[in-house]
Amino acid sequence: MSDIDLKKELQMDEAEKLLPLVLEIIPGHAAEGLIDIYEPGSYTAKSLKKLCDKTLNKKNLSIEEQLIVEDIKRQLDGGKLLSRGQEIEGTALEFAVSEQTEAGEKYLYIPIRAIKPQEGGLGS
Amino acid sequence: MKRLLDSDLELVVESNFIYLPLLFDPEIEKEIQSIFRHGKQTENSEQLDLKTIIKHQDKLFIKALNIHSLIENYEVINACDYNRLRNDCLMKYQIAGEEEGIFLDETLRIILFQVMPHFIKKNQGLVRKKFSDEGILDLINKKIKIPEKYYNNAATFQNLEPLKKILEGLENETLMSTPPKNGILTGRKLRDWFYDAIQVKVLTSEHRRIAQALKVRKQFRQAKPEHIATLLYLSDTGSIEIDGFGFTRHNAYKGEYLVYKRTEGYILKDYYARSYLFPECRVAVSTYSPFRPFVIEKYKHPFLLDHKSGQEICIKDFVPSNELSAKNIIRTLEEGLTALHYGYNGRRRNGYHSLDKMWVHIPTIDFEDYRI
Repeated sequence: MSDIDLKKELQMDEAEKLLPLVLEIIPGHAAEGLIDIYEPGSYTAKSLKKLCDKTLNKKNLSIEEQLIVEDIKRQLDGGKLLSRGQEIEGTALEFAVSEQTEAGEKYLYIPIRAIKPQEGGLGS
Repeated sequence: MKRLLDSDLELVVESNFIYLPLLFDPEIEKEIQSIFRHGKQTENSEQLDLKTIIKHQDKLFIKALNIHSLIENYEVINACDYNRLRNDCLMKYQIAGEEEGIFLDETLRIILFQVMPHFIKKNQGLVRKKFSDEGILDLINKKIKIPEKYYNNAATFQNLEPLKKILEGLENETLMSTPPKNGILTGRKLRDWFYDAIQVKVLTSEHRRIAQALKVRKQFRQAKPEHIATLLYLSDTGSIEIDGFGFTRHNAYKGEYLVYKRTEGYILKDYYARSYLFPECRVAVSTYSPFRPFVIEKYKHPFLLDHKSGQEICIKDFVPSNELSAKNIIRTLEEGLTALHYGYNGRRRNGYHSLDKMWVHIPTIDFEDYRI
């Protein structure tokens, strides 16, 4: 199923808007990033960009999480946040896909990568 | 050199130098007479305590090789013959292989315990915690099926007794070779002495290696057998791939590796916002310089000059580091991946090639088959 199909399915399924949202901001091409969970209703009116800023400014991070945030900020120095190759303009629901835990609990998930641009080639 | 040692040629050994018979040639004869007449030879000899030319039983010999230097450098002078002599010696003394190499291979340890954790999923659920080296080995063990024989080898590895016996055996050997006495001797006699000396050299170095191996094995005595099995498997195969991240030992360069990250398919857009789906590939960096990212497979992309394998990715403002470190390997791979995925700008057509056909008369790479 493509991302577009998934999005349509999400729009149709109002019940899914009541699911918690898991946001993961990943530095560069790493496998894992900083995770934040938003309760149902707490994210619907907010732009994804705002949610990311909130996640990145979270306090009480563990040492491992602090290292991830440092890595993300290094990438964002001249870089940008992308979700599935697109800039994150819009609401969280536009980018979210439904997933479920091993225990069968459903949640919405958005992976976001912090990418420092790398221009290649000879230029124009 | 080998021909010299296999011959019946008469040689002279003096002060640890091999002297070869001087060629009979009128020009050389004239030169020699001149040297002896002017006493240059004597002066030099006194100064250096070594003569360039010596007379023995009315024959002239010229200084050629230092026998200690020959022994020390034989591994480089004739690697093939040295390895043959070494293997004969290891077989004769039943000395074990070099399984513990991986425990001392710093490059592999960097890749395994510092680079790999960056690119593979380690945690389950939402918690992010740091993984210890043991944790990484557990993870590899969970994701890769290690053949049974490595578990058996792990049990052998953790049994120190056989290695201790070999070490004791070596300690009882007389690890000394006396240089041949001054005077005349045949090539074959010199060869017999030379092979004994090489054997002593090999045994001395094996003694050091086995003492070190024993130390390593003692350190890993308490380690989990599955961890040892995993490390022995990696030592043997030299490659692994988990979650699209992998490395493979270089065949041509001993102790060097290719580290790679597999991309998934991705889309680039051309000047007219038309989409092109690029297939997956492996972006790699080698552990020997130049530390520049390249694509392993036969591949085409606006940032690759040709459509072939092993091409360096053209990246702007990227100065590769000269130092091998986890940070630099990660950075180089990331730069390469980012360039392929996000670096091309359809509007600016930056790159060796443009996705849309632009130059009618200049041959370039065609991407029409990737259009979707």
